[in-house]
Amino acid sequence: MSQTFTVAIGGAAGQGVATPGDIFAKIFARRGLHVNTYNAYQSIIRGGHTFLTIRTGVEKVANMGDRIDLLIPLNQDTMDRHLRLLGPGAAVVYNSDSIQPGTAADGVQLCPLPVSQLADVTRNKVAQNTVAIGASLSMLGVGFQPLEEALTEQFKKKGDAVVAENAGVARAGYQYATEHFRPFSRPLPMTENRYAVVGGNMALAMGGVAAGVKFYCAYPMSPSTGVLHWMAAHARKAGIMVRQVEDEIGVINMTIGAAHAGVRAMCATSGGGFALMSEGLGMSAMIETPVVVINCQRAGPSTGVPTKTEQGDLWQMLGAAFGDYPRLIAAPTGILDCFKMIPEMFNLADRFQCPGLVLCDLLLSEGRLSVDPKDLDFNAPIDRGELITSPDGANGDYKRYRITESGVSPRAIPGVPGCIHTAATDEHDEDGVLISDEFTNPIKRRAMMEKRMRKCSGIEAAVPPPRLEGPRPADVTLIGWGSTQGVIQEAVEILNEQGIPANYLPIRWLVPLKGDAILEILRDCRHTIIVENNYSGQFARYLRSETSYVPNGHIRKYDGEPFMPHHIVEAVKEQLAGTTNLSVPMHEIMV
Amino acid sequence: MSTTVTPPPRKVNRIGLDVLSYKGGKTTLCAGCGHNSISERVIECFYELGVEPWMVTKFSGIGCSSKSPAYFLNLAHGFNGVHGRMPSVATGAMLANRRILAIGVSGDGDTASIGIGQFMHLLRRNLPLIYIIENNGVYGLTKGQFSATADLGSKLKTGVINDQPPFDCCALALEWGATFVARSFSGDKKQLQAILKAAISHRGLSVIDVISPCTTFNDHEGSTKSYAYMKDHDEPVNEVDFVPHFEDISVEIPEGGVQDVRMHDGSLLRIKKLGRDFDPTDKLRSLTELHQAQQRGEVITGVLFVDTGKPDFHDMLHMVEEPLATLPESRVRPPKAVLDQLMEELR
Ligand SMILES: Cc1ncc(C[n+]2csc(CCOP(=O)(O)OP(=O)(O)O)c2C)c(N)n1
Ligand code: SF4
Ligand SMILES: [Mg+2]
Repeated sequence: MSQTFTVAIGGAAGQGVATPGDIFAKIFARRGLHVNTYNAYQSIIRGGHTFLTIRTGVEKVANMGDRIDLLIPLNQDTMDRHLRLLGPGAAVVYNSDSIQPGTAADGVQLCPLPVSQLADVTRNKVAQNTVAIGASLSMLGVGFQPLEEALTEQFKKKGDAVVAENAGVARAGYQYATEHFRPFSRPLPMTENRYAVVGGNMALAMGGVAAGVKFYCAYPMSPSTGVLHWMAAHARKAGIMVRQVEDEIGVINMTIGAAHAGVRAMCATSGGGFALMSEGLGMSAMIETPVVVINCQRAGPSTGVPTKTEQGDLWQMLGAAFGDYPRLIAAPTGILDCFKMIPEMFNLADRFQCPGLVLCDLLLSEGRLSVDPKDLDFNAPIDRGELITSPDGANGDYKRYRITESGVSPRAIPGVPGCIHTAATDEHDEDGVLISDEFTNPIKRRAMMEKRMRKCSGIEAAVPPPRLEGPRPADVTLIGWGSTQGVIQEAVEILNEQGIPANYLPIRWLVPLKGDAILEILRDCRHTIIVENNYSGQFARYLRSETSYVPNGHIRKYDGEPFMPHHIVEAVKEQLAGTTNLSVPMHEIMV
Repeated sequence: MSTTVTPPPRKVNRIGLDVLSYKGGKTTLCAGCGHNSISERVIECFYELGVEPWMVTKFSGIGCSSKSPAYFLNLAHGFNGVHGRMPSVATGAMLANRRILAIGVSGDGDTASIGIGQFMHLLRRNLPLIYIIENNGVYGLTKGQFSATADLGSKLKTGVINDQPPFDCCALALEWGATFVARSFSGDKKQLQAILKAAISHRGLSVIDVISPCTTFNDHEGSTKSYAYMKDHDEPVNEVDFVPHFEDISVEIPEGGVQDVRMHDGSLLRIKKLGRDFDPTDKLRSLTELHQAQQRGEVITGVLFVDTGKPDFHDMLHMVEEPLATLPESRVRPPKAVLDQLMEELR
């Protein structure tokens, strides 16, 4: 892994951790650096402990990393919790009026800021934050101007006086640090690139825009709420009907209603809300109306840990709604993939007229990433499948659920003359007439069941198999799914640097799983370990049920926090040494 | 002498369709089920008003009542949702295509038991939907258990007595925002017709609670939703006449006790007071009447509330005229200027 630099800012909720985070991310991205942010927080509006890490580097950074280079504690609690994480070369920048440092490791620079001497703290409540940003950027060898620009953008709505005030405070911090603190050994690099900083939820919402979504609705639930907020804020401009609905039962039914009428419709929730949507998903499958539903997983069960990440909903997704029906499930492997997956999922859901489920998680939803603006393609191809929107599409004897070889029957939207039909959640015949309304006809039931299920082979063929990444042969192959891709990739790089040949298999599509292709790949792998953010090894169990494949070991984590690269590296070493075949790394950061 | 017999001219409505064009499939409900009479009234009203059936979408949930859209308007699109969720399905579909003329049929179980939450939230929306509750006080389809509209003390065939007070869907609708609220009885052809026609002309949410006896499970002595009980306890508060906008008959000068309401499409709803002084534009008064009637054990029927002044859901949301559902693919994504703005926000 090339050099990266990580800033960590911590404080109580309400102390304004987010704003300095935004400012750092913006300044880094505008310097042509990649950025990845992760926020550890609690379900509390005021108080508690919020800990935001912003990692930056010249090359892509896809996880929070292992090391904190600069700690900015906004309160004593943060200092007490995290000072011990700092190693040689790191620094802590803090308001010495209110915060006492503890004992730091050798080589850690303590940078006390006499904030009340540098700013009028009675007027500016967040002065310590702004002073600290100024000081930090000075130590990073970044000029003052980018900060001034960022502050101007941040405060311009509040008027010139506020902008000037904050710029003054920041400058005081900047100058104080220049005079009193040792700069970091390597100044922050700069490149010609320009990146946009995108959050996972924002990426999902923008993916909806790229897919031509015209209807979005949701009931707020962390960590999916950001999608709703983005959608609501951009509804008018983007021409999307956005509704906040009374509950997730209403949400899924409304989404299906809209989709049935002919628009692309999407909704997002988290595990508990998804549970409520289960019956509705069955309806989407039965009436063959495509919808895209996003589940941003949080730690469960039940209300669980609302602000913590987990990959614990796989089996809920696999088993959502009763009965057998074709479905699509994919887990984005990164924040940019959140964007790309939505149009892709819509195309497949439309083609196969079935629910498309996106299995995201808090790590991606609430994380942020620098992306090359060129990668945000709002002109992705749109494939609505066999959709009839005008009478020209009708050819005589229209049957909505016509038995076809592919299992896909042309779908007419309501109101197309010549294509009038009924969509029924009861089992029905080709015309949509309920079969229980005559007598429950086993021959018709079987025919309809087989028609729907035939879509599975089309789906299977439409999805690419996963690919093994990294050198081969290798002593160890890590298998992960969805959001862990970034951290596994880095762990693999570290292992290779340390002389342990390693590669990895990231899984993006869960249904269809492409089991044969996976077996083909894994057959040649010497030692395989499945890495996942849950207790029971949900993916391992799924892979086994689909392919009979049993890996050599497992690395699991279910403490609510994401993996850090060293967790995986150390676990691999202990497993290769034969100590164990199940590692559950400890999260060292107390958040 | 010619022997040819000219067939009698086919009777058609103002758009040239005969009544057959408004029929549905053959009913599979029990003989005598109140729901069948309601389907008949729906057929007549849409026929007589000359509504284009293919512009209509029929929404329903699950229950015997919710099956009945299959028995009217075969030429209209249908959506049979899951149990109790029709309100949100209809909302989604109508927001996606505001040209849909929507009629929803639900049961008392579908609306007041499993679907009460959805129903309550629908009331807040003033969606231009005709929402019919075919109210028999029981779950017909699952063989006659009490629903949440069963009256206190009402008795099942098995002798079980209902021990919980009912929801009055009209009272709820009145209180929480429906702009046309009526109660009728499946056995009162004339009243139900006039009410349905008024609802078809109304732009906003119409809630029509129709007492519709379940002959199989709830039509016995001791039931408060039986034909016999309704014959004795139905107390119309007004007599309604509906004069469609296209019928150019001069309306007689109202005598005392007649209230005329001009509907959105220009039709006239003529409400004749019966007995006491009942004003269907006075919400609080209607609520009081409903409460008092319940205490007396009477079922008041007629138009209970009408408000033609409130904007419907589409107008409230400032929806564009063009339906989202039929936008050409070239226009489903925002124009470049908007996309550029989105990108600018990310800088
Ligand atoms: C989620 C769910 N629970 C239960 C049922 C079984 N069920 C079907 S219809 C019905 C009651 C219908 O009662 P009502 O709406 O009053 O209609 P009616 O048959 O009386 O016209 C029930 C409980 C179901 N279909 N779905
Ligand atoms: S069971 Fe009752 S409600 Fe159902 S069809 Fe028969 S009479 Fe009607
Ligand atoms: Mg009923």
